[in-house]
Amino acid sequence: MEERTSLIKIKPKNYSDGEIVKVDFMVMHPMETGMRKDKKTGEIVPAQYINNVKFNYNGKLISSMKVWESVSVNPVFTIAMKVAGQGKLTVTFTDSTGESSENSIMIQPKG
Amino acid sequence: MQRRDFFKTLGTAAVVGATLPVMGMAAEEKKKGPNEFSYNQAVSAITGGKTAEKSDKVHLKVPEIAENGAVVPVTVEVDSPMTAHDYVEEIHILDTKNSNSRCVDAFFTPANGKAFLSTRIKLGGTQDVVALVKLNNGTYLIATQNVKVTIGGCG
Amino acid sequence: MKTLVKIALSAALIASLSNAGEQFAMSDADRAMYAEMLESNPADMNIAHGGELLEKNCGGSAGLAKFLHVSQKDLPNYIAGFPRYLKDFNMVVGIDQVLQAAMHENGKKPFTLQSKDMFEMSAYVKSLANDVPINIDINANQQMKDAYALGEKTFNTNRGKRGLSCLSCHSTDVIGSVLRTQPLPALGANGNASVGTWPAYRMTKSSMSTLQHRMQGCMQNALLEVIPLGSPEMVGMEVYLGHQAKGAKMAIPGLKR
Ligand code: HEC
Repeated sequence: MEERTSLIKIKPKNYSDGEIVKVDFMVMHPMETGMRKDKKTGEIVPAQYINNVKFNYNGKLISSMKVWESVSVNPVFTIAMKVAGQGKLTVTFTDSTGESSENSIMIQPKG
Repeated sequence: MQRRDFFKTLGTAAVVGATLPVMGMAAEEKKKGPNEFSYNQAVSAITGGKTAEKSDKVHLKVPEIAENGAVVPVTVEVDSPMTAHDYVEEIHILDTKNSNSRCVDAFFTPANGKAFLSTRIKLGGTQDVVALVKLNNGTYLIATQNVKVTIGGCG
Repeated sequence: MKTLVKIALSAALIASLSNAGEQFAMSDADRAMYAEMLESNPADMNIAHGGELLEKNCGGSAGLAKFLHVSQKDLPNYIAGFPRYLKDFNMVVGIDQVLQAAMHENGKKPFTLQSKDMFEMSAYVKSLANDVPINIDINANQQMKDAYALGEKTFNTNRGKRGLSCLSCHSTDVIGSVLRTQPLPALGANGNASVGTWPAYRMTKSSMSTLQHRMQGCMQNALLEVIPLGSPEMVGMEVYLGHQAKGAKMAIPGLKR
């Protein structure tokens, strides 16, 4: 199965060590509530929604989230993070059907 | 093949192959979802029955009027030093009328530097959005805002 | 005659407004909050994927620049001038059509104009011109003049069951009016910058759409016959609206209700 498209974005683009930045995590996901009828078939589309997101920075869990079906389609989650040196930020996520995936980027403070 | 000739074939292909977007604004059926938490159930599941204090340290930002109930921006920021001794442990985003009132339960550490959470939620209709916050000393704080959800227009 | 047409049109519009229920006006704070959402636009994912597709299918921006006979440095400025008349094609074409031809030349099977892959790849290419002012030149040659005229005519012609034109809803006369809570954008008006914000993520559709595809949506909703993507009328309308937006900076992807 094809990996879900996801994206991690640090705002602002350039940041220095010790700075508190915003981290966007977004993923292409239908976030089906299990209450929506397919317009063509008239059948209820089964529930499938992201239920867990974890943010690891240099191997340390800095934030996690339990997510429910009320979050919008193609969800975006933004948190803050204090830059603490060069390192890898990894976001792992699972959905209610057991699908799981991850994405990561390098944190590279300038000065 | 010359670019020109190639282009002729493309032109026709575009005409024949154009698919029309389907406009669908049909009301969603009221159906049981995968999780059922009324607002009160959700709050007691989180706090275990402890009371949550209204606090102006909790800054909850939602639109007064949502353009589109399917994508309502919610931002929560809590005044906190985010040190090992004094930090925000949890921010919960809830609503008061969806069949499941729970949207996101987010957990933080001092490494976040700031107690901040932003996302977008679905609201089935006009209702309150609630930010329920847990500090590391076990205290719960709360803030509430009403969001009017307009009937989605399809221009 | 002119007033008569106007009255007929307003009647049609009032019919659309009749089931509007309560009308809400948005506050500045709300508008600011929606504007902030631009910085975390789900279409950023489409754009990132579009970049990969361009790399794979057209040799990236370097390959595209070469195909268009411009230097890589001039590419953003050149992109901000599309649709353009290109001698190679002997017609006025949009960026998506150029990309089809570039794929063909690279021995790839071109994406169809309405495919998600083409939306993503062309959106990426347009985003290369971000912050560059739109510089469509309708006086560059006769073909551009003709495309502009055809676009203007298509935009202003009443068609369909309800006898509406694009102008019926998108003119300065009705601007500020609200159709089912949605303010009507004065697209045909000089200085309307919205062209520079497409492709955009449409929250009502949970997907990214292009300008031409958005126009098709309006045709469907207003019961006008739907004009195919890439047709001279469509490209003409893009030229027409692009000219009204001339000077506005490209800001892609946009984010729409
Ligand atoms: C019945 C009224 C009506 C007609 C006729 C109409 N439109 Fe629209 N159009 C709208 C409304 C309302 C919106 C905004 C909808 C929204 O925000 O979802 C819109 C939005 C648009 C947009 C997106 C603007 C932006 O950047 O947000 C474009 C482009 C557009 N219309 C083009 C056209 C074209 C081209 C035609 C003629 C083929 C047309 N419209 C005919 C009502 C109309």
